[in-house]
Amino acid sequence: MTLSAAEFSAILPLLIPALGACLLPLAALDKDQSTVKWIRAAMFFIALFALGGGFFYLTTLWATGAQPSCGALHMDRLAQFAGIFVMIAAALAVLQLWDHLHQEGWVKGETLALLLFSAVGMILFTATSNLILLFLGLELLSVPLYALTASVRMRAKAMEAGMKYFLTGAVAASCFLMGSVLLYGVTGTLDLGAIGLKLASGGADPLALVGAALLLAGFLFKISAVPFHQWTPDVYEGAPHPISGFMSVATKGVAVIALVRVLAAGLPFLGSRFQGAMAVVAILTLVLGNLAALAQSNIKRMLAYSSISHAGYILLGLVAGTPAAYSAVLFYLVAYLFMNMGAFGLLTAMGLVGDQTTFEQVRGQGWKRPDLAIAACLCLFSLAGIPPLAGFYGKYMIFKELILQGHISMAVVGVLASLVSVYYYLRLPVALFLEKATEKAEREAAERPSFKAPLAAASVLACAAVVVALGLFPGTVYRSLAVKAVQDAFHLVR
Amino acid sequence: MITPWINTHILTFIVFAPLAWGALLLFFPERQGHLVKLMALLGATGILAVGAGQLLRVSPDALGTIVFERFYWFSAVGIPVEYHLAADGLNLWLVLLTLFLVPLTLLGTWNSLSSRSGNAFALILLLESGMLGALVAQDLLLFYLFWEAMLLPMYFLIGVWGGSERRYAATKFMLFTLSGSLLWLVALLYTAGKAASFAPGVMAQAVAALPVSGQRLLFGAFALAFAIKVPLFPLHTWLPDAHTEAPTAGSVILAGVLLKLGSYGFLRFALPIFPGAGLHFSGILAGLSLVAIIYGALVAMVQTDIKKLVAYSSVSHMGFVMLGIASMTLVGTQGSMLQMLNHGVSTGALFLLVGMLYDRAHTRRIADFGGVATKMPVFTAFFLVVTLSSIGLPLTNGFVGEFLILNGTFISGFGWGRAVACGATLGVLLSAAYMLWMVKRVFWGPANPDPESGTAHLHADLSLREVVVLLPLVVLIFWMGIHPQTFLVQSEGQVGRALVQAQAPAPHIGSLSAEVKR
Repeated sequence: MTLSAAEFSAILPLLIPALGACLLPLAALDKDQSTVKWIRAAMFFIALFALGGGFFYLTTLWATGAQPSCGALHMDRLAQFAGIFVMIAAALAVLQLWDHLHQEGWVKGETLALLLFSAVGMILFTATSNLILLFLGLELLSVPLYALTASVRMRAKAMEAGMKYFLTGAVAASCFLMGSVLLYGVTGTLDLGAIGLKLASGGADPLALVGAALLLAGFLFKISAVPFHQWTPDVYEGAPHPISGFMSVATKGVAVIALVRVLAAGLPFLGSRFQGAMAVVAILTLVLGNLAALAQSNIKRMLAYSSISHAGYILLGLVAGTPAAYSAVLFYLVAYLFMNMGAFGLLTAMGLVGDQTTFEQVRGQGWKRPDLAIAACLCLFSLAGIPPLAGFYGKYMIFKELILQGHISMAVVGVLASLVSVYYYLRLPVALFLEKATEKAEREAAERPSFKAPLAAASVLACAAVVVALGLFPGTVYRSLAVKAVQDAFHLVR
Repeated sequence: MITPWINTHILTFIVFAPLAWGALLLFFPERQGHLVKLMALLGATGILAVGAGQLLRVSPDALGTIVFERFYWFSAVGIPVEYHLAADGLNLWLVLLTLFLVPLTLLGTWNSLSSRSGNAFALILLLESGMLGALVAQDLLLFYLFWEAMLLPMYFLIGVWGGSERRYAATKFMLFTLSGSLLWLVALLYTAGKAASFAPGVMAQAVAALPVSGQRLLFGAFALAFAIKVPLFPLHTWLPDAHTEAPTAGSVILAGVLLKLGSYGFLRFALPIFPGAGLHFSGILAGLSLVAIIYGALVAMVQTDIKKLVAYSSVSHMGFVMLGIASMTLVGTQGSMLQMLNHGVSTGALFLLVGMLYDRAHTRRIADFGGVATKMPVFTAFFLVVTLSSIGLPLTNGFVGEFLILNGTFISGFGWGRAVACGATLGVLLSAAYMLWMVKRVFWGPANPDPESGTAHLHADLSLREVVVLLPLVVLIFWMGIHPQTFLVQSEGQVGRALVQAQAPAPHIGSLSAEVKR
């Protein structure tokens, strides 16, 4: 089989990181103690290079406006958007992993390879409307993440988290598969566009409804929406900080993007039923995520519940359901990428390892690295939706569209939820700047070997800079990225 | 090169120069504290000089606008947002008050902060930027952005440099303000969606087409956000906590400018956009203002902490401001404009004075003092002048403002006008009672003999620095009391036009338009 140039350019964004992922274990084979430093540096360099190459290629593709496809793989604007999104998230995670793994004393070759494979799966997941390919992408992104969660094997918590993630993830994947089977059984086709057309003409078959619901459950699990959220806090707590950040941002992001495509392509026949169900899920997610976050004493668990609540805002955008709302959701994802990676990055940059991530441990630490702490606080304020930062505009656009569509009560619930969120987001700045370190924490900090985390610190500062810049010029990204991605995706499927 | 740019972008300059300067100063290490403080003071003074020079030089056009900047900023989900700043009669003096109070506050609290005072000074500059931005913003989303941007610096000022209950007070301040403004955001987005614009004028036209019940609901959401900021009874409970726990600088800025933004929001946005609903609710607003005046005064009377007493007197004074606005008369509203400035000057000065006393005695309990006049005669003289202006003695600023407000309420033509005016007069009486009683217990009489008392710790009278801070405020107090026209002439035309708009559907239009012509 030969590939045409267009087909090749469609799969190249997948090939570049995949190639990097294959090279990495080879580099890790070298066991010579004298060269280990260089090998590690080379590994991180390869990973960054692969991600940078993919990013560069995708941005070029975006700039030319080409939307090649290869079989059922459509590298359209929406997929390109997702690809760029994933590359940036993965690159930030790699930067933070360098410092985090050194702090943990656990630098292994496979970690970065798994991360890259997961990124490949994510792009595949967003670039198709074929059920088989979707499932393939879902598994390719999930399986490496299960292993990554447990990558620091010496920690029992990490092992437990990995196992939990794997088991619940397997159930979600089987739901997804079962849903695909039912849809295929009813319609006799695997392409979501064709499924949508057939169902639209034939009326709602109950089996097809069950299938669509199961499919949705698979997505909602990845988005960590209530009631499929229970794995989130445990997994985020157990995983290495950068991996938690990466999962919260990229997994959620690509699941949302794929869901947008699926909704646009195959499932409009659900109509008001879908809206009602999504509205209930969104409200539950908002309420539960925000209330549970109030009660956490561990920063990572707090951020995990906060990521659940952000799934709620994003779902509100999907409930509004207009192209403008989808664009708003994409903008929200961009903002969320930087603010959440910044927040998780702080933990790494401050040299907190393992489960030493309670509010107790960061008390008064802000004054030691004010630049870093201020940057992280900006990210947190943005998460809380305080203007004029990026997160505010994400919420603003989603609420705006909700209100324009007449869902005023849902918008009110949304703003009340974000009011609650201010309280727990403020707890970190309060601990960093307003509280004095306890003697015990001071002693522990003194005993801890001091690590410099320059790359993680740089990533936090960069995230904060982007959060502020997005706040000052929200229109640019919205128009040039989010709107175009949605427009072209909808042309393609309709 | 730079001068022509500043001439045309004076508003951008005064809004963003403090932000840039403050952000720069935040990055200096703690051991450079003195240098940072000096640079902050010089920066704030420079911005005052440039801003005041430019704003007072240019004469207003026919519509009252002095300078403006306007261009398209961004558009998301179909509604354009404009970068539209303007200084006009309605906000000119509030802008100048802000520019003026910040350097005084910095100088007045030079040695008051125990640690990291450089960072606090930088935060005050950031706060100045947010306040000025909110004052001059003409686009509602822009206003909202600045409105919220003020929260964070204030939160940290209270939370880091405050008293023993600072975290509680800071969080309460934050959550109270946000709960109002988030609901307001929903109403704002709804209204803007109907109007397809964030410009108040366009929104007002769109609102007129909405059903009356909808208008009232939207006005309620706007009013809630502004009333929390003022703060209007019964939403005032965050204020005494915030004032008592905040460092002196925070209290001065809070009382001097932040609270005004609530009443300014009513004047600038809520009433012009929802004239019908505003008229409908004016009785309720007036009633709540009256309760705030009387209740604030009564609670102030029983306070044992001087700062808390001043904080409750703020509730009472801001009640007057809201009463004048609710009267919907030119006289009353002009009184409110003046009273906003009065309160900024007098209460700001009171907080500075209480801070100076606290710096020496490390206590603010009234019972810990007594006979302070014998130890600090100059301080006592200043305190007395400011107290009398706060009470509203003729020839001081307080008298003019309160007189105009009471006058306006009395002639408002509303059924409740005369009764409320009479009730509010009682508030003036009460303010004399609690202020003078406090002065008597703190300053007069023999010195407190207890060696542990606050009086015993008073060793030095005011320093030159402190006199330099207080003198301009005292000059202003008399200037505003003797020749208030300086501060009233700018806003008269604009307030009048706003009122004609608001009163258009009202039955008693005749009496008012006559008044406006005068």
